[in-house]
Amino acid sequence: MAVNASKPLLRQLGLLAVLFGAIPAALTLIGGGYPFQVGITALIFVTLAVSLNLVTGTAGLLSLGHAGFFGVGAYAAALTATKLHWPFLLTLPFAGLVAAALGVIVALPTMRLISIYFAVATLGVGEMIHVSLLNWVSFTRGPMGIRSIPPIEILGFDLSGVVGGYYVAAVVAALAIFAVHRLTHSYYGNALRSLREDDQCAAAMGLNPVRLKIEAFAVSCAIAGIAGAVYAHTASFISPDSFRFEESILILAMIVVGGLGSVPGAIVGSVLLIVLPEVLRGIGDFRMIAVGVFMFLSILFLPKGLLGEASAIGLARRQLGAAWRGDIGAGWK
Amino acid sequence: MMADVLLEITALSRQFGGLRAVDDVTAEIRQGELVGLIGPNGAGKTTLFNLISGFTPPSSGSVVFRGQNLAGMKPHQVSRLGMARTFQNLRIFPNMTVFDNVSVGAVGALGYGLRHGLLADAKRAEAISARAWNALERVGLADLAGELAANLSYGKRKYLEIARALATDPVLLILDEPAAGLNDTETAELAHFIKRLHADGGTILLVEHDMGLVMSICQRVMVLASGAKIADAAPNEVQADPVVLEAYLGIDDEEDA
Repeated sequence: MAVNASKPLLRQLGLLAVLFGAIPAALTLIGGGYPFQVGITALIFVTLAVSLNLVTGTAGLLSLGHAGFFGVGAYAAALTATKLHWPFLLTLPFAGLVAAALGVIVALPTMRLISIYFAVATLGVGEMIHVSLLNWVSFTRGPMGIRSIPPIEILGFDLSGVVGGYYVAAVVAALAIFAVHRLTHSYYGNALRSLREDDQCAAAMGLNPVRLKIEAFAVSCAIAGIAGAVYAHTASFISPDSFRFEESILILAMIVVGGLGSVPGAIVGSVLLIVLPEVLRGIGDFRMIAVGVFMFLSILFLPKGLLGEASAIGLARRQLGAAWRGDIGAGWK
Repeated sequence: MMADVLLEITALSRQFGGLRAVDDVTAEIRQGELVGLIGPNGAGKTTLFNLISGFTPPSSGSVVFRGQNLAGMKPHQVSRLGMARTFQNLRIFPNMTVFDNVSVGAVGALGYGLRHGLLADAKRAEAISARAWNALERVGLADLAGELAANLSYGKRKYLEIARALATDPVLLILDEPAAGLNDTETAELAHFIKRLHADGGTILLVEHDMGLVMSICQRVMVLASGAKIADAAPNEVQADPVVLEAYLGIDDEEDA
């Protein structure tokens, strides 16, 4: 028993070792600066994808405006850092808070809508955010974007380089993954999944669907906002162009390719859709066609995703020791 | 001594446009009773059921459950007061395992929020697990705990739904047409099972379309026709009641797929 109990812990430590040891080592070997830049982008999208997966994959609420909340976080961090000279440790949570607050404001009137109407509402909100960032020139500088966002410095430690940025993005991604893992692979996750399956029936079991949906959406938006802060500080320049409908669809594609409702799937999907175009740079303009073909084929042959929800949940139960009774793979700790 | 009144329905009505689906129904259910509610198709059984469980607001009248007026309460609030229901057209969570389906009932009753999830509240999770497991054992589905609910046979899904309701640890369990779609053998098994639930101390309202099951196990039977209650007595009295016979005339042994 003692050996079995330590196995999940070892596996979790192993995953951290890959994220903080093996991958940076490999990126250094490949050639330093640019690969690390791609690594940062991938980690930001991993953070975005796991957060969207909580609300869209697990709770079943199709959100088409996730990039909007990402943008709100990025601008919240960029504006407070450039105008008020807030340090990164303050802009980061503030970005999450602003995005979550906006999420709640959006969710309150729309959560009672049935799924497709909610999707259209989020589409509208995403567009509104983009248009606001673009046209509210006195506040956001509009299409000129915000320049010279201070690089990351934590308690005097200078993390301004790409390697420092990678580690910050990795810590944020790891924390986001852990939070979403806890929420997905627990009885809270069961509650969210039951809403997706049949929310009236879930209500008859004593769950408050509206409250749960607003909560999940707020958490998801908060994480997207935090990802925005990481993006703003590592890129040092942001403009409304990075937070369009296209980005929302890209994040959605990541979780669909990976497997709706699957946390490891969201990670694999986002890494693939960021890294694949980079790896394929050699074939020039054809690379986006190749990525499209990959997405098409993966959905054709694996409609439940590369790592579907059922197998991802089994994985969490067996490999990460999250099950109440591991022998029958049931329940949550 | 009379047992406590659990559910008190007074002059309850529900109008849908020009149709009075439930018409001035007054009834009560006492602690420990096994009561049947029957009526021909379209008699208003399901509407009455939805009125009681908070899914449909009444046009007039009141429902008092455990001393609390349910007016304006949402289904989840009614459920947390201790009323659990199953659905006529089998509503399970198909993409979740059997155990996870049942756990939702326990989560609803015991509560497991965002905070518990993030902080990994092991004690609360343990209580939910234990209760879900207990409910699964009561319906005899424990050996299928890890199976996806979508893979269960029709008959087993019925028991899954009942287990999920039992996991809320209800004071009153309302079963909506549990025998629909079952063959005679399965119906007999179900009758036996419901009797056992009752013997274990449950208060049960059995809403049924088919007379046989209700007459064989219930202590008291209410009959609904065209939205109104036309009888409320022991099974043998109800069966001899000319008003009831007329309401069922020509349709008493209809299709029972």
